[in-house]
Amino acid sequence: MANQSNLTVPSVEQDNAVVLCPTGRVDGTNVTILQGAVRERLEAGQANIVFDLADLNYISSAGLRVFLMAARDLQGQGGRAAFCNLSEQIRQVFEITGFDKILSVHGNRDDALSTF
Amino acid sequence: MSTSAKILVVDDEEDLELLMRQRFRRQVRRGEYEFYFAHNGREALDVLGENPDIRLVLSDINMPVMDGLTLLSQLAEIEANISAVVVSAYGDMANIRTAMNRGAFDFVTKPIDFSDLQVTVEKTLRHIQVLEDALVSRDRLVALRQELVVASQVQTSVLPAALPVTEHFDVHAQMTPAREIGGDFYDFFSVDEYRMGLVIADVSDKGIPAALFTMVSRALLKAAARNHVSPSACLHEVNQLVSQDNDACMFVTLFYAVLDLRDGNLRYCNGGHNPPRLISRGEIREVPSTGDIALGIFMEHEFHDNEVVLGVGDALFLYTDGITEACNVAEEEFGEKRLDEMLERTGDASISDVVAEVVGAVEEFAGGVAQFDDMTCLAVRLNSTKPA
Repeated sequence: MANQSNLTVPSVEQDNAVVLCPTGRVDGTNVTILQGAVRERLEAGQANIVFDLADLNYISSAGLRVFLMAARDLQGQGGRAAFCNLSEQIRQVFEITGFDKILSVHGNRDDALSTF
Repeated sequence: MSTSAKILVVDDEEDLELLMRQRFRRQVRRGEYEFYFAHNGREALDVLGENPDIRLVLSDINMPVMDGLTLLSQLAEIEANISAVVVSAYGDMANIRTAMNRGAFDFVTKPIDFSDLQVTVEKTLRHIQVLEDALVSRDRLVALRQELVVASQVQTSVLPAALPVTEHFDVHAQMTPAREIGGDFYDFFSVDEYRMGLVIADVSDKGIPAALFTMVSRALLKAAARNHVSPSACLHEVNQLVSQDNDACMFVTLFYAVLDLRDGNLRYCNGGHNPPRLISRGEIREVPSTGDIALGIFMEHEFHDNEVVLGVGDALFLYTDGITEACNVAEEEFGEKRLDEMLERTGDASISDVVAEVVGAVEEFAGGVAQFDDMTCLAVRLNSTKPA
C-alpha cells in the first residue's frame, strides 16, 4: 500500500544496546515493517532496545501494540525496552493512552541507554 | 523455489527421451528440472492427470492417437494452469499459427536446436512463475476480502441497533468505518431508572482479531455496568479480564461515564481514550483525565473516577482518534483545534446536527483521501432533569 514507503527503521548499535529509529509514520498499513525490525533483533538474542522516536511523525494504535510486545518480549529474554526523544505529538499519544506509565520513557538517548 | 520444475515432453519419437535427458542432465542432476514423457496427446493427458503439478508441456504436433493441436484444445478445456510450447517442423507455419491460436505459449522448430530450446524452456518457466505468483496474490486478496466482510459484520453487530429515547436527553452517534476494518465502538444504555451509561472505545489494530476483541470488550463492559455503579470499578473488572492471556498485546482505549438524569452529574473513568468535550453555553472544555491507562496492557493498574456536571442544555461530545487524526492530501491532521472550533460554531444546533457537521467537516478536510481509521462520535445533550 501507499504508506509502506513512509516508514524506515534504521538502527545503530550503541553500548550494550541497539537503537532503533522508526522514521516517518507507523500505521496499520506498514506496521509489519516495525514489527519485522523488532523481531529480527529479538531473534538475534538482543537484550536491550532503545526506540529513538525523534523522527517518528505519527503512530497508530497498531504501532503502539508493537512497542508493547517488544517491551514484553525483551523482558522475557532478560532485557528491556526504553523509549526516548518523543515529539510533542507522540508524547501526547503516550500520555492519553497511558503508555508513558507502562513503558520506560526518557528525554534523550543517553538517558535511555543509561537505564540498562 | 526449492521444488523442481516438472516438464512433460510429448513426442512419438522414442529417442527424444534419451536426447532430452542427455542435454538437460545438469539441470536434472541439480534438481531444477524433472522430466515426464508421453508419446501422444492421449498419454499426455493421462500423465497430467497423475501429476497435477506439471506446469510446462513441450509437445510435438504430428502424433498418432491424439495430435498436439487436439491436446492443446484439451488443455484449454481442463483449465489447468499449464503452459505449452509446441515443437514443429521448420516452415510448418500453418500448424504453428493454429497452435498459438489454441493457446500455446511459444514454439520451437525441428530439428531441435537445444540451446534455443533451453532458452525457451527457461523463459516459459519464468512466465509460469509470474502466473503462479499472481494466482497466489489473487487467492490472498479473495481471503482478505472475505475477512473484511466478516469483520464488518461483526463490527456493525457490536453497535446498538437503536439508541434509547426520552424527553430528558438527545443522543446521536455516527461511525464511519475505514476501508480496513478497525475496532471502534460506542454504546448508550440505561443503567437503572435514573442513570444512563455512555461508552466510546477504540481497539488497537485491525482485522478479525481486533473485531473479536471489540466484541468481547463491549460485552464485558456491559456486564460490569450491571454489577458496579462506579465507572472505575467497571474498567477495573474489564481490564482484569482482557489483560489475561493477552499474548497479542491487544488493547482498548475506553471512556465510560454514567450520567445521572436527576442532577446531570456525570461520573466517568477514562481508560486511555481521547478526552471527550463538554459543551456548555458555547464554551468547549476537555473532560479532565482520570490519569488512567488503556485496558489490556497492565493488569495491576488501579482506575479512578472523576465527575463533571452537565447543566440543562449542556452536551457531551465523545470521539475516537479517527476524527482528529484524519489526514488530508498534504498529510496534515484534522486535529483537536479544528474539532473544538467546529464544536464552538455548532452552538445550539440539534445534537444530530452537531455530529453531522463534525463528520462533514472532517470529510471535507480529508478531501476524499482514504482514511486508515474508523471515525466515530457520540454526542448527548441534557434537555431536562428527571425528578427523583
